Amino acid sequence: MAMKYLEKYPRSTARGLWVIKPQWHVLKLFAKTVFHRPVTVLYPYEKEWVPDNYRGRPGLDFDKCVGCGMCARMCPTACIKIVDSEAADGKTVKRPQVNLGRCAMCGYCAEYCPVDAMTVTPEYELAEFTRFDLLYGPRRLAYDKTTEGMKVKLEVTLQSDIDNGNAERRVSVFSLDRPELTDAKCIGCKKCAKVCPVDAIQMVEKGTNEKTGKPILRPVIDEVKCISCSNCIDDCPKDALVMKEVL
Amino acid sequence: MISVVVEYTSILDFIDFNGQYVMDNAYYPFEDVYNLPFAISYGLWKIIGGALAWLINLIFPENPVSDWLMSEPVCVLLSLIIFMLIVFIVVFVCTLISLWMERKCLGRMMDRRGTMVGMKGFLQCVADGLKTFMKENTIPKKVDNMTYMWTVSLVIGVSVLLACMIPLSQRWFVVNYDSGLLIIMAFFALAPFFILVSGWSQNNKYAMIGGMRAAELMISYEVPMLIMIATTALLAGSFNIGDIVDAQYETVWYFIPQIIGFITFFFCATAESERVPFDIAEAEAELVEGWQTEYAGMKWGLIMLADYFRGYVACAMVTIMYLGGWALPIIGNGPIPEIVFLLKTWFVFFLMILVRAALGRVRPDQIVNIGWKVFMPLSVINLAVVLLLKVGGFFRWL
Repeated sequence: MAMKYLEKYPRSTARGLWVIKPQWHVLKLFAKTVFHRPVTVLYPYEKEWVPDNYRGRPGLDFDKCVGCGMCARMCPTACIKIVDSEAADGKTVKRPQVNLGRCAMCGYCAEYCPVDAMTVTPEYELAEFTRFDLLYGPRRLAYDKTTEGMKVKLEVTLQSDIDNGNAERRVSVFSLDRPELTDAKCIGCKKCAKVCPVDAIQMVEKGTNEKTGKPILRPVIDEVKCISCSNCIDDCPKDALVMKEVL
Repeated sequence: MISVVVEYTSILDFIDFNGQYVMDNAYYPFEDVYNLPFAISYGLWKIIGGALAWLINLIFPENPVSDWLMSEPVCVLLSLIIFMLIVFIVVFVCTLISLWMERKCLGRMMDRRGTMVGMKGFLQCVADGLKTFMKENTIPKKVDNMTYMWTVSLVIGVSVLLACMIPLSQRWFVVNYDSGLLIIMAFFALAPFFILVSGWSQNNKYAMIGGMRAAELMISYEVPMLIMIATTALLAGSFNIGDIVDAQYETVWYFIPQIIGFITFFFCATAESERVPFDIAEAEAELVEGWQTEYAGMKWGLIMLADYFRGYVACAMVTIMYLGGWALPIIGNGPIPEIVFLLKTWFVFFLMILVRAALGRVRPDQIVNIGWKVFMPLSVINLAVVLLLKVGGFFRWL
């Protein structure tokens, strides 16, 4: 009877000392957290470190922006609208306005901006009392502490690059695409030259119309100036311009 | 014009602060032992009552009330009321500090910060207290109202009484019993009975199971605890807390000869005060709030406070029985023995927090297993060791 009672004990009573191990671990952690800070960050009073390219709200360098509308075109949530705004010299220029109520903070606008005027900022406390307050106009988008890291670049490697033995990353996507003219469709209306934000399109005389006697105008695109914003393609009434990959 | 000329009596005629030593009072209630909290309250009454008597004397000159207020029996009676307040407030603040310590230390042990509300988080206790006191006093419809209210009052009342009865030093006590440890243990073991009745009266399955578990816990852990208390008393030769502390000062702290007993008693005390590794009566994980399920608002807040009172008492008992009470090894009593005692108590409480943070909860059947199969034999072994030491003459016979 007594032996039956004793058999219910574990073989080695020393194995019951396992309870010491977790206590030792907890004591070590306690000693560590007493002298160092715990992992908890007291959020409203102290903030976590954020990297330069942290995707907060978009920021805008007003003077650098050319108003090409690339950001509005690339925005996945369509929160960017190009609005008329007054520049320092009194002229009316086109600049982006961001509706932060809709913004997904993806940072595509900053990635695709051809002149690095649009940046990401580390600001993420954006609560407002009304939805109207969430509309950030071009001036309000300005962020004065912009660093180089906030101008996030779009780095791409194309399959054609790898096939041609050039696996290096292209820093800018804008050296890839250029508008190309289908000469037979063009009517020489000069719309492309008007909408080009960087004046990369010059209308050049290519002979004279035999019936009317007027000069035949054709756009010539300056490859260096062009930022591939595709405004000319969108505005072409005869679809004479198309985007082509140049390699 | 009538001018009344009243002879101005100095306030110092009434506040007779230097005139009489507290123990010279004919009605001094503690016989021939100096009692610090009573001396403080006596001095306080001298100031308050003296100012009151002086004011009454200013308005009604030569009245008998002023003299009556400052007479010896009245002084003792009213300073006893202040004495009760002082003793309670000290214990209350100590308990709040241990509550704060648990929150902070547990936070650090889990790599977080613990409470942050004012004074490094101490004011969280005050905020919690205020919050629970502001709540509506709701009583469920189907409870047995009389037992429901009485048991909770008794649980809280017994816990507070118990905490106040723990002497902080040779001069800080309420009553100097010869059977002090036994009486504390008796009161300590009383609460689980009320918990059982309260669990029945709430007419709720969770409360019922919680109450039965509390009773189960009490039966399993009372026996080894009592054996170990008897062992300590045997080693010291007395149940009087002061004598036990003196005996430890004259020989060694009792956790050295009774190391088995110290560890066993520590875990038994943790279980007896229903703290986390052994909290099967409360069991937030499986029973909603255990036997406190139907108590809301102020009642629940007071029950939680009573839990911490019991934790404080358990730590104080460990301190008295094994860690030398308020005496330090060579220095002895020292200038402020109360602080020494409280520091030791909080150290034991820290160990309890460590156990809480490190170990998982125990199942009800395991708890009974540990109680009867591990702690019970260990306490008997401890008793045997002490008997051998005693017979071998390592400790003096009293």
